[in-house]
Amino acid sequence: MRGKVMGSVDVFTPVLMGIMLGGLYALIALGLSLVFGVMRLINLAHGDLVILSSYISYAIFTYLAVDPILGLVITIPFMLLLGFLIQKYILGRGFAISSETPLIIAFGISLVLQNLNQILWTPLSRGLNTSYSHMSFFIGERQFPVSYLLAFLAGIVVMVGLRAFLTRTYMGRAITAASQDKRAAQLMGINTNRIYGYAFAIAMGAAAVAGVFLGMTFPFTPTSGISFLTIAFGTVVIGGLGSMLGTFLAGIILGLSQTLGGYLFGSASQMLIVYVLVLAILAIRPHGLLGR
Amino acid sequence: MAFWDDSSFMIFSKREPLLIFAGFVALILASLPVVGAPESWLVYLFLFFIYLAMANMWNLLAGYAGLISLCQPAFLGLAGYAMTVGTWVGIPWWIGLIGGGIVAAVFALAISTAVFRLSGVYFAIGTLVVPEALRMVFYLWRPVGGQMHGAGAGYMVKGIGDLSGDVIYWLALVVALSSVVLMRLILRSELGLGLAAIRDNERSAASSGINIFKLKLYTFIIAAAVTGLAGGVFYLNQGYVEPTATFNVKWTMTLLLATVMGGLRTEEGPILGTIVVVVLYFLLARYGGYSFLIQGLILIGIMLLSPQGIIGLLRRLHLPAAGRVRGF
Repeated sequence: MRGKVMGSVDVFTPVLMGIMLGGLYALIALGLSLVFGVMRLINLAHGDLVILSSYISYAIFTYLAVDPILGLVITIPFMLLLGFLIQKYILGRGFAISSETPLIIAFGISLVLQNLNQILWTPLSRGLNTSYSHMSFFIGERQFPVSYLLAFLAGIVVMVGLRAFLTRTYMGRAITAASQDKRAAQLMGINTNRIYGYAFAIAMGAAAVAGVFLGMTFPFTPTSGISFLTIAFGTVVIGGLGSMLGTFLAGIILGLSQTLGGYLFGSASQMLIVYVLVLAILAIRPHGLLGR
Repeated sequence: MAFWDDSSFMIFSKREPLLIFAGFVALILASLPVVGAPESWLVYLFLFFIYLAMANMWNLLAGYAGLISLCQPAFLGLAGYAMTVGTWVGIPWWIGLIGGGIVAAVFALAISTAVFRLSGVYFAIGTLVVPEALRMVFYLWRPVGGQMHGAGAGYMVKGIGDLSGDVIYWLALVVALSSVVLMRLILRSELGLGLAAIRDNERSAASSGINIFKLKLYTFIIAAAVTGLAGGVFYLNQGYVEPTATFNVKWTMTLLLATVMGGLRTEEGPILGTIVVVVLYFLLARYGGYSFLIQGLILIGIMLLSPQGIIGLLRRLHLPAAGRVRGF
């Protein structure tokens, strides 16, 4: 993995790296958490939608020479619209059929996106290599990549933003209401189908931000989606449902387990440690460490 | 429709022509390599047999036991690896094949402690993690020395030089037929009746003394063993096994598509669906990446337009074949 331990190798380096990585994981997981919280759907296509945003940012960066972070003014609206359309015309109809239908449809969307990405951008590994994503900052002798710090900060911004949106705005409160009790929300005059559309759109907006910072931190391929889906799911499971703060803390737990696992057992096995941790936590506490 | 007014108890009276027809088809399929059928037919049919066995098992899990399992690649991959690695330490391939099925079943039992605590969507994603983790394991772990050069952690199947393609074809046919017969037997056994009761109303089934956990676990283990056997035959034919293509979500996609396209929760569904999938596979093969793109689109389209697949469509059109379909 690019930008792993570069300076002196003591335990402080993997700890700080893990915390910053955790911010990125939380950022990736926020959209999944929102969709799960509101619609009770594990969006199996979430990882691929995040990777799609990475590719769109890559296209904007490569062909239009626009900085990927500035490029969010294009990426976010695009993903918002895509999310709304997917929910309205595909997933929303699936909900009306049976409870497993949306899950299978999401699986189908995941495969369509994977192969679409492969056709559009070839299976080669890509990265958003901006002038600053290769820079480093120093704490004492230790050297850390700037991209990790940016991703961590973006994670905090999106988390705080989403929290404020869900508690302070009318639409956010409507989304919260629909997730708590669908029928009661309908009786209060909330159009829950439209609310689901907005919630999915907002989750995709968060995925757009995640895609950009992911692309600056890690190289990605069309099939990367599934590993990030696993990480996002692990984060949601550990953090428990509906809690944005829990998601953030869980992201940091996963990030730390990955970097410390790499530090202790070698970098080749660090993702395996994350997967095993997710399965172990599922076995011990099926509804999350901080969940009910 | 309740399960007892189905014609299931009339296998030997009303269904006799159907049984004779099925036996006739099986005989023709078995004789194809001997009578000199074109090689390409055998390739198509081989794939059909393997996919059919696996799709039947996925249908059993998802359709009848309510377990949307996304870890089927783990079973077929572990069985394939068990057989292949076995040939490296001097175990004959046919013992390895059976051993592979057992390994898959034991693995299903082992992960059930973790994944059976999850229900519904949790179960689906919990199982999705399993093949991903196994792929990493087999990248890192080389059970025996001398890995294949240039392809990472792959292994060749040793000592099958004198094994003819016809034998492998027949093995696949046997596994596919067994899976069809097994489905019939299970659905008409106490296990199948229990599953039907759970499907209709889980709570009332539990209060009638049905051990839901046990029935689902048995189903999971049976499905793992048969999927493992089919996987073993597949890798016997392929001649090598490696982690990327083995523990790959595309397997899950194929089984899902075959079952859903034909008709989830119907016995005939996977047969019809697998025929379509194999035809699609060869029609779309030359388009490379577009193949799975199109299959994904078909999957979404079918789920939205006809959630019960081709069988559901036939039933809606009131065709005679649809009269046999069991209801929800």
